[in-house]
Amino acid sequence: MLTTLNGPTRQSGSGPARWLLVVVAVVGFALIAMPLVFNMFNKTPKGAVMIAQFKPFMTTARLDGFQTDLKEINAGVRQTDTSVATYLTAHSNQRTTLETTFPSFVTFDKEWPGIDSKMTGLMDQVQANQGNYRAVAALPSFRLFPWFFVTPGVPILAFALASIFRPNWKRKGPVVLVIFGVGLITAPVAFQMFQRAPSGGQMMSAFKNLETTANVEQIQGFFGEMAEGQGIIRIQIVPTLEQDGLTPNQVAAKFPNVTTLDARWVHILNDMTPMIGVMSDNVANYQAIASLPPFPLFPWFFVLPGLIVIGLALAARPGERVGNNAPSKVQSVSVPHYQGVS
Amino acid sequence: MRQRNSLTTVLAATLIATALCLGATASGAATTKAKPLRGVFKLTAGECSAGTASGTYFRMISPNGTLVKGPFFDNPDSLCTDKSYTLASPGTQGGLITGKYQPNPTPAFSAQGGALASDIVQPQAFTAINFSISTNKTDPQTQNSVPAPSISDRGGKLTGQIEAWSASWNKLSFNQGSPKPGGGHPGITEPLSGTYSASTHAFTITWASQVVGGPFNGFTGYWHLTGTFVPAK
Repeated sequence: MLTTLNGPTRQSGSGPARWLLVVVAVVGFALIAMPLVFNMFNKTPKGAVMIAQFKPFMTTARLDGFQTDLKEINAGVRQTDTSVATYLTAHSNQRTTLETTFPSFVTFDKEWPGIDSKMTGLMDQVQANQGNYRAVAALPSFRLFPWFFVTPGVPILAFALASIFRPNWKRKGPVVLVIFGVGLITAPVAFQMFQRAPSGGQMMSAFKNLETTANVEQIQGFFGEMAEGQGIIRIQIVPTLEQDGLTPNQVAAKFPNVTTLDARWVHILNDMTPMIGVMSDNVANYQAIASLPPFPLFPWFFVLPGLIVIGLALAARPGERVGNNAPSKVQSVSVPHYQGVS
Repeated sequence: MRQRNSLTTVLAATLIATALCLGATASGAATTKAKPLRGVFKLTAGECSAGTASGTYFRMISPNGTLVKGPFFDNPDSLCTDKSYTLASPGTQGGLITGKYQPNPTPAFSAQGGALASDIVQPQAFTAINFSISTNKTDPQTQNSVPAPSISDRGGKLTGQIEAWSASWNKLSFNQGSPKPGGGHPGITEPLSGTYSASTHAFTITWASQVVGGPFNGFTGYWHLTGTFVPAK
């Protein structure tokens, strides 16, 4: 039992103090092991790829552009199944109708409301998460995430072990551990993780239904249907209008939405196809990130170990009193005795 | 005793006949050794009649489909009644050259994304944007090194590899080779096979290749090439 002039002090070299440092060492080891347990070295680079690949599409201009694309397709299709259909029927003495002459378009036309609703809904979902995406993209690269655990974990483990086994580290070891603990707590604050990680969590939730093989295949199917529908308008219906006597300028004047769709179609393909490609290519990347612990917990993976390390390291400092207020000289008195115990 | 002699005679005759047959088979095998065909597989342009295509064409099968039943991706720009057939016509070099690459030009695409490669086939409209074919030392999609196409004839049957076959469209590249770069046959990817007449040099080649990655991930291209082989000098 360590004794001082003023009563009992903590037995830093054995008993509770050593036990406290063992717990700190365990925390350090846990920080090192966490990336391995969660397979972060394999998964987080996939997240980095996903964030990087989505980057060109997550701008206001591109997202607004997709919405415009869908509106233009919708306007062109709607004008075809109304004004164009009426015109064709009237000017062909009922010989030409959409139903009889362009049955493939009619099939597409029936599918279109569902396609439009789904695609617009998806784009709304993506657009609503633009801010969340930005927040996640502003975090340090996902590739670094495992190292954020390993980097503090290694010195915490090392200093904890040194404090346990090296007598000359018994005093300064806990002090260094406190510094690392403070670093663990401040890192999430410095990286604004408390704001950004929940945003990342919201983005991951929103992408849950988006980044699936089934959803991507459905969008691929929609893409095929849209291409076919537009193709019928461009290659069959508009030429029929022209055969009926309308010049291209008259077609443009009478059916501006159809003309706009035709004129913009290549641009729409230029716009949408790469987006579908990125969605398809990132299904596995999304799944990898989604299998990690929820994003909002990540800041706490630093703060909680930090608090534990600080608390235990402070408690494990040699010569500190456990009970009543002790004069500062107690420390100097207790040290020789404490060293003798260890 | 007479019976035993007869049995011996039958056995001897059987052995001799078997040996002769084996010899003939070995001799036949020697004559049908795979012969590499180096030169130009000059393509016959694709045509459609009565709802089916002939010549050189390609079809795209939707994910989880089959080569025979599809479902197929319809190309509205197809000249066929059945829009699942996209016809091709020979390029400036007449068709596919084995033993060397016929790479993408620089640039590979127009400003609108239309493919500009025209050595093997002429660019062909696919949903309003031209697509075309090239073979490149480094596959544009996967960035893997791939060998130049090679095709061999073994008694009228063609085999080979066309790993470098790359389709370009809308500023995107899709490896359409078989095997795929690296040697795999994912999904319903089928090896190159076909027929060849040594006398007329007429050939038919087919293969299928699943798209891996990108907007058409999981779709499979079915390629049908016919024409006349012109050996390299």
